[in-house]
Amino acid sequence: MNLRLLYLARNLTRNRIRTALTCAAVALPIIIYVLSTAVVEGYEEFLEQAARELRLAVTQRTSIINPLPAGHRPKIESLDPTGARLVAVCGMRWIGGRIENDPRPLSTLAVDADTFPTSFPEYLRSPDEREAWVRDKQALIIGRGVAGQFGWKKGDRVTIVPSVPPYTPMEFHVVSTSEEASDPLTNWFRRDYLEEELRKSGAPEGLVSFFFIKCGSKADLDHFRVAIDALFARSPDETKTQDEKTFMNEYVTQQFNLPRNLRILAAVTVFVAVMAAANTMSMNFRDRISEYATLKSMGFSGGIVFTMIQSESLLTCAAGGIAGAAVPYVLFTHTPMKNFTVPLIQHLDIAPAVCGQAVLIALAIGLLAGAWPSWLAVRLHVVTALRSLE
Amino acid sequence: MSAAEIECIDVRKVYRKDRIAIPVLDGLNLRIAAGEFVTLMGPSGSGKSTLLHLIGGLDSPTGGSVRVGDAQLERMSERELTAWRSRHVGFIFQMYHLVPVLTAAQNVELPLLLFKMSAAERRERVATALKIVGLSDRTDHRPNQLSGGQEQRVAIARALVTDPDVILADEPTGDLDARTSEEILTLLNLLNTEFGKTILMVTHDPKAAAHGQRTIHLEKGVLERDEVMPRKTVAAASA
Ligand SMILES: Nc1ncnc2c1ncn2[C@@H]1O[C@H](COP(=O)(O)OP(=O)(O)OP(=O)(O)O)[C@@H](O)[C@H]1O
Ligand SMILES: [Mg+2]
Repeated sequence: MNLRLLYLARNLTRNRIRTALTCAAVALPIIIYVLSTAVVEGYEEFLEQAARELRLAVTQRTSIINPLPAGHRPKIESLDPTGARLVAVCGMRWIGGRIENDPRPLSTLAVDADTFPTSFPEYLRSPDEREAWVRDKQALIIGRGVAGQFGWKKGDRVTIVPSVPPYTPMEFHVVSTSEEASDPLTNWFRRDYLEEELRKSGAPEGLVSFFFIKCGSKADLDHFRVAIDALFARSPDETKTQDEKTFMNEYVTQQFNLPRNLRILAAVTVFVAVMAAANTMSMNFRDRISEYATLKSMGFSGGIVFTMIQSESLLTCAAGGIAGAAVPYVLFTHTPMKNFTVPLIQHLDIAPAVCGQAVLIALAIGLLAGAWPSWLAVRLHVVTALRSLE
Repeated sequence: MSAAEIECIDVRKVYRKDRIAIPVLDGLNLRIAAGEFVTLMGPSGSGKSTLLHLIGGLDSPTGGSVRVGDAQLERMSERELTAWRSRHVGFIFQMYHLVPVLTAAQNVELPLLLFKMSAAERRERVATALKIVGLSDRTDHRPNQLSGGQEQRVAIARALVTDPDVILADEPTGDLDARTSEEILTLLNLLNTEFGKTILMVTHDPKAAAHGQRTIHLEKGVLERDEVMPRKTVAAASA
């Protein structure tokens, strides 16, 4: 082997534990970077899909947790009597819910039975599913992910306990597992069934958490986003109308600020990796001062020594980076983990391009980590260095 | 096979520490003929290493001129000095300073990385250098598998593999026992007699100094004494 490369290789294996720990310190943030990017990109894809559905979400003006009267629906519908531009208005009430003796929370919504299929055409794809939804007041559409988690399938009878009034267990019949919808975790049932249960328990009726409005075109979407809020301005129940993408983003971030937190986490760990790698390179430098001084006395230029140290730093960090990118890539594309679901995101797509970026980040870590010691090596004065060792 | 003359004219070296000037060399004049083996003695702190560093182009004089062969060192930039060292000087230090992760042969090959030459020529040069220092049977040993004397021999092979004009040794036997020192000195002598290298060696040991043709004594920044040694050890070595 070429002596230059051999020397480089020997330097890398000189203190194996130190090199291995540095690789690991670089690999960890790279794993976090790759995973968080996959989650953030998956989430953005989910929002884009929401935007393509041409739907508006109408909530109470001050807070999403304040309900709106169900009576808003005919008023909104009256904005377009033809029904061509304002295709459907669907009121929804959130009941959360869980099943008995199981702590896992559900996300369940009661929806206007008549307008739901038009508003959300991605559900109830087959005629018999639609027929069952219309015929059976206790019909329940479950998310694909929910079906997997709880082992529910079409035709099952399930009991859900609402997290809000009426609080009493409600029985449902699963009519669909929403194979084609992008949201795998939400369950849907008929609001007339909820109203009936609320009446039985004496809880207030006629309230919805929000309305979803299906529009005819992008222009209609922009028009009604303003028109609906104008309609209820200065009424006791003022509204806030947003497109579905904005609404979803708010709805999700209200529960956890996922993308932002992940990005911060990735940035912090990258920073920690820079410090760990820089520490290693500084220790290496201190251990080898006499060696670098000797090389320079033999006529090795500052540039050569600089390159030697930077190469070592880059190689160490590249090894960590490649390992860090390979772990999630292999895990989520070539093992059973690929079926793993994250809220709102069906499955984690680890894009090779993201892995490539991750390796570039690792190289940048290496460059930064090697910068100070390699600069010291360039500046190293042979006589001073040798004297300091005497 | 090459050698160079060394000439120092009115060389001054002043260190500054907290704005106080510490004159170490103060108008030193010295001439060493090509192919001469000169030893340099003097009390600790008298500036022996400093002078060696100036002649080797590792440091620049505060005043005066230092010439080695055709090179006028005080006029050269740091970059030029670095390139010059790789071709014209071989250093030998008290602490050997071998690269611990490379074998003896690889350590000797290291300075050749700065030369354009074929792999075969490189191998041959390394083998020759190791043969001269008598370590042909230790080529694949790492420094920690060698004795101090053997390590210093590797360092000598490394200094001579580039065929420099001048060999500068700073207390090369300072860390070795008497018998091993004697072997190293005999080896340096051989480099001088057989290969004609100009050698300047710093030592504290009068016995070691006796291996040179001439001993110069440094004191208070100037040459205090210059004596020609009888060449008895050379005769002894070749006998
Ligand atoms: N960077 C520096 N700053 C200040 N003074 C220095 C510096 N380097 C060397 N000196 C001083 O220069 C003087 C000569 O040092 P030098 O190392 O040349 O002596 P020496 O003759 O080789 O001594 P020794 O026999 O102990 O090796 C010493 O007094 C030393 O303290
Ligand atoms: Mg000294």
